[in-house]
Amino acid sequence: MSTFKLDGREIPFEKGDTIIRAAHRAGVDVPHYCWHPGLSVAANCRMCLVEVAPPAGRPALMLDVLRWDSAKNEYVAEKKPKLVPACQQGVADGMDVLSQTSEHVKRARAAVQELLLLNHPVDCPICDQAGECRLQDYWLEHQGTKKRMHDEPVHKPKGQIFGPTIVYDAERCIVCTRCVRVSEELAGDPVLSVSERGNLNEIVVSPGRQLDHNYTLMTEHVCPVGALTSSDFRFKARVWFLRSVRSVCVGCSKGCNSYTDFDPRSLQVHRYRPRDNANVNKYWMCDVGMLDYRRIHEGRILEARTSGESTTRESALTRAAALLAGAGGKLAIVLSAEHSNEDNAALFTLGTKYLGALAVFYTGRPQGKADGILLESDRNPNTTGVLSICPTAKPIAELGQAVAAGQVAFALALGSAVPDDATASALSGLQGLVVAATHEGTLPQAAHVVLAASSWAEAAGTFINSAGIEQVSERAIPPLGESSPAWKLFAQLGQKLGHPTGWKRPEQIQANASSAASEVSA
Amino acid sequence: MEPIDVELSEAELELPEEPMLLNVGPSHPAMHGTVRCVMELSGELIHRVDVQVGYLHRGFEKMCERGTWAQVFPYVDRCNYVSPMLNNVGFALACEKMLGIEVPERCQWYRMALGELARISDHLTCDGAMAMELGAFTPFLWMIKGREMIWDIMEEETGARLTHSFGRVGGMAAPPTKGFKEQSLAVVEHILSIVSEVEKLMFGNRIFLDRLEDVGVVSAENAISLGWTGPCLRASGVAYDVRKAAPYLKYDEVEFDVPVGEKGDCLDRFIIRLEELKQSVRIIRQSLARMADSGPINVVDPRVMLPPKEEVYNTIEGTIQHFKIVMEGLKIPAGEVYSYTEAGNGELGFYLVSDGSGTPYRVRIRPPCYYITGGLEHVITGQMMADVVPCFGSLNMIGGECDR
Repeated sequence: MSTFKLDGREIPFEKGDTIIRAAHRAGVDVPHYCWHPGLSVAANCRMCLVEVAPPAGRPALMLDVLRWDSAKNEYVAEKKPKLVPACQQGVADGMDVLSQTSEHVKRARAAVQELLLLNHPVDCPICDQAGECRLQDYWLEHQGTKKRMHDEPVHKPKGQIFGPTIVYDAERCIVCTRCVRVSEELAGDPVLSVSERGNLNEIVVSPGRQLDHNYTLMTEHVCPVGALTSSDFRFKARVWFLRSVRSVCVGCSKGCNSYTDFDPRSLQVHRYRPRDNANVNKYWMCDVGMLDYRRIHEGRILEARTSGESTTRESALTRAAALLAGAGGKLAIVLSAEHSNEDNAALFTLGTKYLGALAVFYTGRPQGKADGILLESDRNPNTTGVLSICPTAKPIAELGQAVAAGQVAFALALGSAVPDDATASALSGLQGLVVAATHEGTLPQAAHVVLAASSWAEAAGTFINSAGIEQVSERAIPPLGESSPAWKLFAQLGQKLGHPTGWKRPEQIQANASSAASEVSA
Repeated sequence: MEPIDVELSEAELELPEEPMLLNVGPSHPAMHGTVRCVMELSGELIHRVDVQVGYLHRGFEKMCERGTWAQVFPYVDRCNYVSPMLNNVGFALACEKMLGIEVPERCQWYRMALGELARISDHLTCDGAMAMELGAFTPFLWMIKGREMIWDIMEEETGARLTHSFGRVGGMAAPPTKGFKEQSLAVVEHILSIVSEVEKLMFGNRIFLDRLEDVGVVSAENAISLGWTGPCLRASGVAYDVRKAAPYLKYDEVEFDVPVGEKGDCLDRFIIRLEELKQSVRIIRQSLARMADSGPINVVDPRVMLPPKEEVYNTIEGTIQHFKIVMEGLKIPAGEVYSYTEAGNGELGFYLVSDGSGTPYRVRIRPPCYYITGGLEHVITGQMMADVVPCFGSLNMIGGECDR
């Protein structure tokens, strides 16, 4: 592979690479504001300027400049090489690029940084970006000097509502146009643009429009400064108090990779952030998914219930065991496409291997509208996973027929939602329904016994997305309220019924489940 | 006169064959904090002794590894709490070594003057307490009076008498006050007169001398192999002083002598502290003479120094600088360092490892006391029970520094 030199270090590149892209792939950071690996090149921030040595035997392109000499108290004539933006300059074999090792580059970056801060408001203490702000990081890395301008800075509008999700502060904006490019190139809705020039310029929304496509939060995510803020996250938490785990979005079957940011003190999840994965979501997540974290804390079932009355987990398990013990051969199990492989495998193993259930159904949230970019119509993260555990599982809509035909009178179910209203009436025909659910919904409403299950943020879990990629979502917070991971609930229920289901770790279920699956299919 | 036990038969008078086990400490006034000595006594003679430290354990090193680099200063204050300024400066020097920065000259002189004042307070406390434990209360009161004067200076300079937290990476928390030089010169004069009075009082006292002379003798070889440093090592005749052996700050530019003892007994250790104290006075006088009355006290480096408050409130650059240092902590380049200085009890070493973040990856402290206390067993084995008190007193074990 061909290579070029960056600060003396050999860096491989592919045909068509720019300096910054090749360096980025090799894990070398060239400072930048406006460049983003997933967007087109704008080359307007000038932070990534580098010095490229001329080809052998050719003179360097030098510019005549005047430099202020504070000792002499006058300008002195000087020459400096023409610097080029690393985000736009293509790489050639053997090219010699100087970044941090060039005095000219260092001076240029310090000047760019000073210019960007010239009119910047003193907002860090009230700015949501503080702690993850490029202006802060680069000031220390590349500038480190005090303010020299003593004029009143240019004032611009603050706190403008751009749409239902985004608030814009023009004073903080460095007009890198990343948000403009996200709207145009990712969302395909060029609703943002730049107005005015020079130090008066700012980002504006097209007249008569709002910033309301499905990728508005990505404009905030790519904003390197605190100009765009999410009205959902605004003033909720300071980022340096948050901790992150690698998670998978459960908003649809795409399985976008994300970070779950939570406060370890209050055990409150505060936001998702996209996590780069070239095979799934590249750099992005949609608004539906980004705001889906709210379901971790909203509409949750945090206590067990029998016949609609709150009770302890222990007595609910006893009641459930009594119900299921009398099920005879009329037991069905209902898997859930909202839950991880671990939860489903535990239910499947318990139901088919130990309780003798012959009918297997699966449920999930109703279909939604796909946006043709990331969001898919199947709003369940693990439909593929459920069908890989039990390929013969039938949609829950068919449960009604089985109940009417008298084949099923009892059901052990996982999950909260059902895809359509017709199923709800079928549930009322059951003599016994035991549900392990995370959220309020049709299933727990109809259930005789409800066990409080932990959500995806409270237990590690494996999800298989619509493309068949198996991904693990890590645990962020401990189980909320009295809830417990569903696979543990099924393990305890099995033990109550006298079966050897004392699984300590989810891997033990997986082994059992695959053998159970082979038994059923055989 | 007839013996009173004339009636008793020989058998009843038989002495016990088993040696007596005696626990001294961990809570015993002579144990200077929390050291426990399990002694095996034969009559009054100590056959064997097991010295146990560890009753004072705060997890000092682990605490340091939780906060930022600057937040370590209050912890090092509480190591040798009789001379916290020396710990502060020692830690600051270690950080500065990793950062590759040197504080301005004025600050170096200031650090030396404050440090030597702290050393005087350390030595006054040790010798005063040692005399008091042997029943001589007067010198204790005199010496503590001298220490109070030094602490008055510290209070004036730092705002605190005991735990100053006055050191900073890249300088000190504040420049010297206007009256610092004048007050310090007056105080050291006073302290010299206290020392000469103590000498007059103690060195003509047969009882005091008898209790110290030839008691707890440690040879030079043994002192070295025990890892001793500082006054205890020098009392055994080894002229090792970090200030001479590996000069830091401006110690190579001042004149002072390194007093050494001859025998390495308790008396030598008592005298050596008084002599060192006089050398400290010499250093203080030279430092104060050479310290400029104005000029910067802190380095100019945005990575480590907090900006002035008016800049924090009024300019974005100042806000960012403040934010980065306070919220993320000043960043020390990845690497490791062993930096050592002469503290009150000897070589105070900091072995620091940085992973480049704002939090220390590892803070390992080499407290001089720990090694000196390790030699206690050697010092008191074979001594009389009553000699434990002067022996232990002369080692100047400081609980906080012995934290393990």
